[in-house]
Amino acid sequence: MSRYQDLKKNLFGGTASNARQFGMIFTLVAIILLFQVLTDGLTLTSGNLIAVVSQYSYILILAIGMLMVIVAGHIDLSVGSVAAFTGIVVAKAMQEHDLPWQAAIVLGLLVGAAIGAWQGFWVAYVGVPAFIVTLGGMLLFRGGNQFIGNADTVPVPEGFRTIGAGFLPEVGPNTGYNNLTLLLGLAACTAVVWREWRARQIRQEMGAEPTPVWVSGVRLAVMVGVIVFATLRFAGGRVGTSLPVSGIILAVLVIAYSFYTRNTAGGRHIYAVGGNARAAELSGVKLQRVNFFVMMNMSVLAALAGMIFVARSAASGPQDGLSWELDAIAAVFIGGAAVSGGLGTISGSIVGGLVMALLNNGLQLEGVGSDMVQIIKGLVLLLAAALDVYNNSQGRFSVIGSIMRPFRREEPAPVTAGADSSRETDKASAAG
Amino acid sequence: MLRRSRSGPAWSWRAAKRGAAVVNAVVNKAPTLLEMRSITKTFPGVVALADVNLEVRTGEIHAICGENGAGKSTLMKVLSGVHPHGTYSGDIIYRGQEVRFADIRASERAGIVIIHQELALVPGMSITENVFLGNEPRRRGAIDWRGAQRRVVELMEQVGLKEDPDTLIKDIGVGQQQLVEIAKAFAKDVKLLILDEPTAALNEADSRHLLELLREFKRQGITSIIISHKLNEIEAIADSITILRDGRTIETLDVHADGVNEDRIVRGMVGRELGSRFPDRTPAIGEVFFEVRDWTVRHPISTERLVCKNSSFNVRRGEIVGFAGLMGAGRTELAMSLFGRSYGIWLGGHVYKDGKEIQLKSVADAIGHGLAYVSEDRKAIGLNLLDDIKTSIVAAKLPKITRHGVIDQVKEHRVAEEYRDNLRVKAPTVDEGVTKLSGGNQQKVVLAKWMFTDPDLLILDEPTRGIDVGAKYEIYGIIQRLAEQGKGVIVISSELPELIGLCDRIYTVFEGTITGNVSRRDADPELLMKQMTSTKKMATR
Amino acid sequence: MRKLLTRAIATSAAAMLALGATSCSNEREGEGSGSSAKGFKADSVIGVALPSKTSENWVLAGDLFVNGLKEAGFKPDVQYAGASTTVADQQAQISAMVTKGAKVIVIGATDAAQLSTQVAQAKQSGAIVIAYDRLITNTKDVDYYIAFDNFKVGQLQGQALLDGMKAKKPKGPWTIELFSGSPDDNNSAVFFNGAMDVLKPLIDKGEVKVGSGQADIKQTAVQGWKAEVAQQRMDALLTSTYSSKTVDGVLSPNDTLARAIITSVKGAGKPVPVVTGQDSEVESVKSIMAGQQYSTINKDTRKLVADTVKMVKTLQGGGEPEINDTKSYNNGVKVVPAFLLPPVIVTKANAAQAYANDPKLSPLTK
Repeated sequence: MSRYQDLKKNLFGGTASNARQFGMIFTLVAIILLFQVLTDGLTLTSGNLIAVVSQYSYILILAIGMLMVIVAGHIDLSVGSVAAFTGIVVAKAMQEHDLPWQAAIVLGLLVGAAIGAWQGFWVAYVGVPAFIVTLGGMLLFRGGNQFIGNADTVPVPEGFRTIGAGFLPEVGPNTGYNNLTLLLGLAACTAVVWREWRARQIRQEMGAEPTPVWVSGVRLAVMVGVIVFATLRFAGGRVGTSLPVSGIILAVLVIAYSFYTRNTAGGRHIYAVGGNARAAELSGVKLQRVNFFVMMNMSVLAALAGMIFVARSAASGPQDGLSWELDAIAAVFIGGAAVSGGLGTISGSIVGGLVMALLNNGLQLEGVGSDMVQIIKGLVLLLAAALDVYNNSQGRFSVIGSIMRPFRREEPAPVTAGADSSRETDKASAAG
Repeated sequence: MLRRSRSGPAWSWRAAKRGAAVVNAVVNKAPTLLEMRSITKTFPGVVALADVNLEVRTGEIHAICGENGAGKSTLMKVLSGVHPHGTYSGDIIYRGQEVRFADIRASERAGIVIIHQELALVPGMSITENVFLGNEPRRRGAIDWRGAQRRVVELMEQVGLKEDPDTLIKDIGVGQQQLVEIAKAFAKDVKLLILDEPTAALNEADSRHLLELLREFKRQGITSIIISHKLNEIEAIADSITILRDGRTIETLDVHADGVNEDRIVRGMVGRELGSRFPDRTPAIGEVFFEVRDWTVRHPISTERLVCKNSSFNVRRGEIVGFAGLMGAGRTELAMSLFGRSYGIWLGGHVYKDGKEIQLKSVADAIGHGLAYVSEDRKAIGLNLLDDIKTSIVAAKLPKITRHGVIDQVKEHRVAEEYRDNLRVKAPTVDEGVTKLSGGNQQKVVLAKWMFTDPDLLILDEPTRGIDVGAKYEIYGIIQRLAEQGKGVIVISSELPELIGLCDRIYTVFEGTITGNVSRRDADPELLMKQMTSTKKMATR
Repeated sequence: MRKLLTRAIATSAAAMLALGATSCSNEREGEGSGSSAKGFKADSVIGVALPSKTSENWVLAGDLFVNGLKEAGFKPDVQYAGASTTVADQQAQISAMVTKGAKVIVIGATDAAQLSTQVAQAKQSGAIVIAYDRLITNTKDVDYYIAFDNFKVGQLQGQALLDGMKAKKPKGPWTIELFSGSPDDNNSAVFFNGAMDVLKPLIDKGEVKVGSGQADIKQTAVQGWKAEVAQQRMDALLTSTYSSKTVDGVLSPNDTLARAIITSVKGAGKPVPVVTGQDSEVESVKSIMAGQQYSTINKDTRKLVADTVKMVKTLQGGGEPEINDTKSYNNGVKVVPAFLLPPVIVTKANAAQAYANDPKLSPLTK
């Protein structure tokens, strides 16, 4: 069975926690296929994919920050309120003080940074548990939102709306597709190929057993296939639509933060602190600095998410950001992070977020009421966490193993299907 | 590891079989209360107790002595049902009948109460609540607090505790907390009281009070078993002493008849051949390059307790320096406070390296000045158990493998492979999670982690704790190689033979004070043990 | 084994590529087709996006829409927003309706100003957008507005408040308190302004006094139409202003809030003042019959839904729906053509007659 192990390992990177991610990707594909059938193919139409990306990009952006917070062993309950607060500040600044929208975005990020510094101070330097600090922040900034906005809905100008509701312009010859999206897809394909080649090279330099050529080939074929499919979908929507701008922002953030958490000393410190704070401290990691950074970073991303939502909604309203924290936290946990910290990946969280997003979307397309949607989402979260607990008590690979076992003997095809699924994620993270 | 009591009677009496107690040659004075016969207890891979016998007479104070790991605590866990009947072999005869305890509650019901070194009290609850925790007097289903109040006053008087019964545990000192534990035992109608290192955390006045209390109990007819490293205390209060070594009973001494003194006990505890458990080495010792003067550190919480009192010592290049002391003597505290003030509150003292004073205010400072500290508790604070081997090895000096903050994964891998080969870490790849390694291999990974920081001075805290003999030998070899490279090495160990076999010089520590500085030539277990157990400062030899 | 696996993977990868290249039917048909009133198929999907199920009125409306649209031969897709994630839910739901190819989307907005992106999306896909009960603001893409005449509702509430107080205490001055709806609901201000149209002259004359002095809509607003918020505010008013005085009347914009206000007053041990309401909720009708709440407004949801369905049917046939107001409802971008239904004030006196046709309410009035 080592062939299969080989493939699984090589397709998804290889470390232990990736097994869980593999399971989630499998779940994601299953959900997509299920709804694709149930909705008569509506799920994978251009229009729907575009809508899903622009609807959930801000939640996924929050999930990036939340992943880092949770890996460091904390939690942030205030993200929704911070987003709403930033939204109203920015909207008011543009409406009442005629701030140009570009400057308004900078202002929003600064507001986020200031809030983050405030919360980070209490968490890192005073030592108040993040749960309490951000519970306080949740009330504080929700109240701030209402205080500043008087519970009004404040519209934002057209230019600002680009970051939430904008699309890439139509340029160049009429190819029947959005040309810029096609270019992005091409770039992503190139990046994937380059990365594969680089990875093989690195393995060689390490003197490690080289990945079998056929595995590389399959992996490339799957990834390129997914990217091509996604590109054509996103480029082939109604004229004037493309991969949404918010989706591009998300992709850039995913790539940047994946790289940061995986390949830099700073990123590794976050995992060290979450895995064993005392051991990290005794290895020279500056605990306070790491904790301060993750909390601050979270608020900056929350501010960005808030602005994207306001831009998408064309106005900042008093209900912005309500219970976003729950969506973001759920995405992170479904994506394989450990409640106790130290474990989890950005791409995993994105997959977790997409599982929630597509579940939501599919149920809505099916006309299932929001009450049932909430019930189903709650059960999915619980199941994912239970899977994690069960996994840990049984040794890491058992659950995934047992899901896979039935498929192994007769026909390995579903495994491939599992791999195909990276769809949205890989489009974003493959290049990282 | 949850242990649940089986259904049915938790323990049963059975007609006692009279057997010859060979161990004790003492003339009978009082009837035997407890007899443990041929107790053998094995853990996977380790024989913790081999054929151990213990006989305790009614109304005596019986001490159990032995080095760390000799099997004292395991024996008491067998007695108190922590290791339930069936997980060991041998018989326990208590009050003339064979008993089989299924869990702690069963032994407590029989009147055997053990007080552990780590007190089992809830800090946020009052004395009364703690005394009756899990044993609440009930009246029609509800807790009878009035009855409890009345009873607690009696109990507190019995143990000489003068506090308001409503005081919270966290507001009283360790000494009083110890008394609360004893009161708790009395609330359970104790007949045999077992104290595991009861004075380890106490100051002298509290210790004296506690010992006096034990004598008082003796007058009241309560039997006590005391486990202690403090031989002076044992000499002072014990009636009989059973000495364990390597999981075996060595001898039982009658204090009054045999004319026992500390030296006699020490001989029993360490009297073993030191075989060639250590690789050969010819020390090449250079100049003093690291020196600590008047290092004084306070306990992080208890303001009046000093864990290091004006400690001064030095290390030469290429030298392996041992720190001997009993548990709680302050060795780890000294090491950690030196390592970037990672423990306690620093009150004063200076550190010199190569003749210049250096400031070690943070771990980063310490690492920067070439210090490395390998913790005694690998799993809790030495390693991130979620990491794999390679991440663990580079964790303390990431800058060595990063450029502009980006980790060079090829270099990381190569470095890790190198250490894996050199230290012979048994793992298929360096991507293996550290949890999957054995204790010895984990320890090698930790050593690699700190060797990777290019230290000048390595402080190794109990480097061979919980490691099998073969791996120990390898680790000794690594330590010796480090010394050969001209690094200074400090080894903290509770195993005297290890220190004597490995070190060029040994400092002894007792209650935060460095009490001796013995060279390899003069090091013998008895001398060290004496210095480790008394405040009397010995002349440097 | 290996070969098999490899081949299977290769095949499916190839299939994937093929799928990506060919089956990816291009959806670029250009601008929305058939957006002008040319009619559409009689069995088309009709989307109805409603706020969360916090008021029984919305639940009733949802059921009526499902039945009414089904009867008319359409495929109804009726969705409620979640209780805590209303705006985002509704946005997603409208997008989903567009994806499903809904020809008409009826929207009872949760936040009138935060739907412009989705409405634009709907419009571009060729759907007709009808704002139901609440106007959608800041967008050119809303086609029709159908609702009860809410300014009139406010006027009726103000008048009922005066009538009720006069009946209890013939001589003024009367002390009142004012409550208005959620500030993110476009109708709140309309109700309030309607009521103030009646009350303001008397307040200026001094015949009616606002006890707490809080007469600005910002001070009187009840965020999210939440009963608990209204109750908290009333509690606070009773403590701050009415420890010794009594309040004669309370202007409440709807029934849920009216009951919350009455609960608060009763809790404080004060006599129940004249309290207005709206929506004819079951509990409030009972309360009116018991002599507690003074009035409510009967905006017959059945009628409103029926007229909306009628409008959809007209659009399906390619006709121009009936409009009776083309100037009052400016949403900030354009004046939205509206069809307004007249509301009816209901007190204990005329309840039996007003609810005669309502199977649920009429038994309560006997």
